[in-house]
Amino acid sequence: MPIWLETAIRSICILIGLFVITRILGKKQLSKLSFFEYIVGITVGDIAGTMSVDLGISLQEGITSILIWSLFPVAVARLSLRNKKFRDFVEGNSTVFIKNGKILEENLKREKYTVDELLEQLRKKDVFRVADVEFAVLEPNGDLNVLLKREKQPLTVGDVFPNPPREKEPQTVIMDGMILDEPLAVMGLGRGWLKEQLDKQGVAIENVFLAQVDSYGQLTIDLYDDKIQIAEPQEKKLLLAAMKKVQADLELYALQTNSEEAKALYERNAAKMAELVQKVEPLLRN
Amino acid sequence: MTVVSQVKQTLASLKGIHAGLQQLALTSQDETAQRTFHEAMLATEEIIADIKDRIGRLEFEEPQYHGK
Repeated sequence: MPIWLETAIRSICILIGLFVITRILGKKQLSKLSFFEYIVGITVGDIAGTMSVDLGISLQEGITSILIWSLFPVAVARLSLRNKKFRDFVEGNSTVFIKNGKILEENLKREKYTVDELLEQLRKKDVFRVADVEFAVLEPNGDLNVLLKREKQPLTVGDVFPNPPREKEPQTVIMDGMILDEPLAVMGLGRGWLKEQLDKQGVAIENVFLAQVDSYGQLTIDLYDDKIQIAEPQEKKLLLAAMKKVQADLELYALQTNSEEAKALYERNAAKMAELVQKVEPLLRN
Repeated sequence: MTVVSQVKQTLASLKGIHAGLQQLALTSQDETAQRTFHEAMLATEEIIADIKDRIGRLEFEEPQYHGK
């Protein structure tokens, strides 16, 4: 067997083997590598690279070494999934750097962090004043996570509206002019409904590049032809406007009528309508 | 426009609102939203009943309203 052929076969086998191993190691490895996992990754790659070109190394030696290097982290991961103490030992603990707005110098020293590095990490989190920080912690993977003081935290929807309407994920129902039946079924809708909605907007399915249905059953579309203007769904806004108009009408009738009985009826229903408007307005506003 | 026809128009709008709320109650995915829309729909039914009642009376009393 010529040398080049042996090298080729070795390389291909190792490539496939490495692929399988990376699959077993899983996604977690990509998102947050601990130092240990980082080194293991490099070593496995190095062994594989050497094995594929250095024919002096026998396949048996190489494969044994690769298996040990790659299966050991898997075993460690399994074990640390079960046992909290083992996990702390393997992955390390987080270290609190700022507590109650005060820097803990002892902990900084223990992690060999200078004040400059701390400030740099804080600036990465858009914090330029240490005084704004309530709590900051150094995670085992080296990230610094920061909790701002209450008055410095960004405003959220929940701060403004106590009970904001909940919003579910929208479903994509048309892609590249093709109807996707599964997401449609998830929303409890069908092709008939979709056709009706498209007809309402005066669009053919073939012209639709992308269409999504939001959690209130409203359809938004994007066409291939970007020059065509499509109206945003207005149903909810129209409904709200109609409700407000009816409420105003009822109040008007209450003022116009001469009969006491009718006045009472109109006023009662106007109040009911006003209450309704207040109740559904947050849901209908957008 | 007479008073009766005005109130009838409001009744028609109310029925439209009822239908809109019903549709939203059916198509919404969130349970709280579904319930809110459903309750609102039931409340509009009460209003519709009241207004219908009133229209019946107005039609009976119509002569009195002519020319106003």
